[in-house]
Amino acid sequence: MNNLNPLIHSFPYLLRGAAMTMLMAASAVVPATILGVLLALLQVFGNRAVRAAVIAYLFLIRGIPLLVLLTFAYYLLPLTGIDLPPFWGVVLVIAFYYAAFMSEVFRAGILSLPQAQWDAARSLGMKRPLMLQIVILPQALRLAAPPFVSLCVSLVKATSLVSIVGLWELTMASREVVERTLAPFQVFIGAGAIYFCICYALALYGRHLERRVLHGH
Amino acid sequence: MLEIAGISKRFGALPVLREVSLSVAPGEVVVVIGPSGSGKTTLLRCINLLEDYESGTIAVDGEPIGYRLEGGTRIRMSERDIAAARAKIGMVFQSFNLFPHMSVLQNIVAAPVRVKGVPRARAEARAGELLAMVGLSDKSGEYPVRLSGGQQQRVAIARALAMEPKIMLFDEVTSALDPELVGEVLAAMRQLAQGGMTMVVVTHEMSFARDIADRIVFIDGGVIVEQGKPDEILFAPRTDRVRTFLKRYNDRYRI
Repeated sequence: MNNLNPLIHSFPYLLRGAAMTMLMAASAVVPATILGVLLALLQVFGNRAVRAAVIAYLFLIRGIPLLVLLTFAYYLLPLTGIDLPPFWGVVLVIAFYYAAFMSEVFRAGILSLPQAQWDAARSLGMKRPLMLQIVILPQALRLAAPPFVSLCVSLVKATSLVSIVGLWELTMASREVVERTLAPFQVFIGAGAIYFCICYALALYGRHLERRVLHGH
Repeated sequence: MLEIAGISKRFGALPVLREVSLSVAPGEVVVVIGPSGSGKTTLLRCINLLEDYESGTIAVDGEPIGYRLEGGTRIRMSERDIAAARAKIGMVFQSFNLFPHMSVLQNIVAAPVRVKGVPRARAEARAGELLAMVGLSDKSGEYPVRLSGGQQQRVAIARALAMEPKIMLFDEVTSALDPELVGEVLAAMRQLAQGGMTMVVVTHEMSFARDIADRIVFIDGGVIVEQGKPDEILFAPRTDRVRTFLKRYNDRYRI
């Protein structure tokens, strides 16, 4: 325990794992955000059937652990004949999972805008797509920024689950090192510290955004 | 210019407008007064269809807005046509409703550029003229949050005017302002009226109403109770309802 050599020697390897973690998180956060905005818009503006479908999706996804979804997709995808590289498979599952949470954050942002903003945009002759583009979404996304960032933090940590289905990233790399060195404490303290640094940096950025939202324009 | 023909509206079981008809001539300034909850704001919001109404029609410059009559049936216009009609009607709100994420200049040019397709340079030049008119030339780069209520409201007037509307609607535009900021907004409106703009103004400022109105319309309980020249309505009302209203008002404010 008091010998840090295993950690020092394996640290570059762990950092490569961390790079993969970040790549995975970044690849998932983009489609998750786009899908999240889309689902939020459908839920606010869709007709009754569309809204019901979106709500059913949200309840389904939010009621199932990500690990179960990942494992399920791991067994299901090959059967459906969809031939995805495993990396993109898990990225998609994470994206669809987080999109459900993000859509609620964006929906709250849209609904928290005063009716008066809609009135003003309408009175100027704007049609709905333009209104959304230049009046509603810029403000709603700003309001949604702080909770959005904390979802991103959660998403980064969730990528650790993919090691269960055999994908290599920081957690998987740590387990490999532990198997070689039999030094679980040192190695996982190192891995934990790396996760913490990534997430702390994100959280700081979130705080920065929050300050801008509250005090800026 | 503006032709309101028999519009009725209810909120649930409560009727707020009952068969209201009103026509406004080009260049005319009509001031709508009445107690709170009388339906005056609702009437104004019906004109550009921010509120829907159950019966009647409204036309601006001969063009129907919201509903058209075809062989006796009332047909709702498409969202696109409604948006096009709204673009010709300027509206200023009690709570300003500027877009907080845009600068003053962006607030003013957004709609002309994106709705009417006016070239940006021309829209910005026009915005400069309008800001000069409302006395805010030095504020074009500011964001709304840095302006006083009176300044925000004057920007809102400039924003509405930037669409070159045929008619301007003012919904209690001084009610949310500190008393010492009311004057600057009223001055901008007075200037506009003198320039020949057709205006419908809902206000509680009786002395301003007297000063600016060609005609005052008194609404209560969703119907037009009385209308006429400012001095007739304010100093020689024919109905008890208006007399009571004005007496209460005078007891409080002493015009």
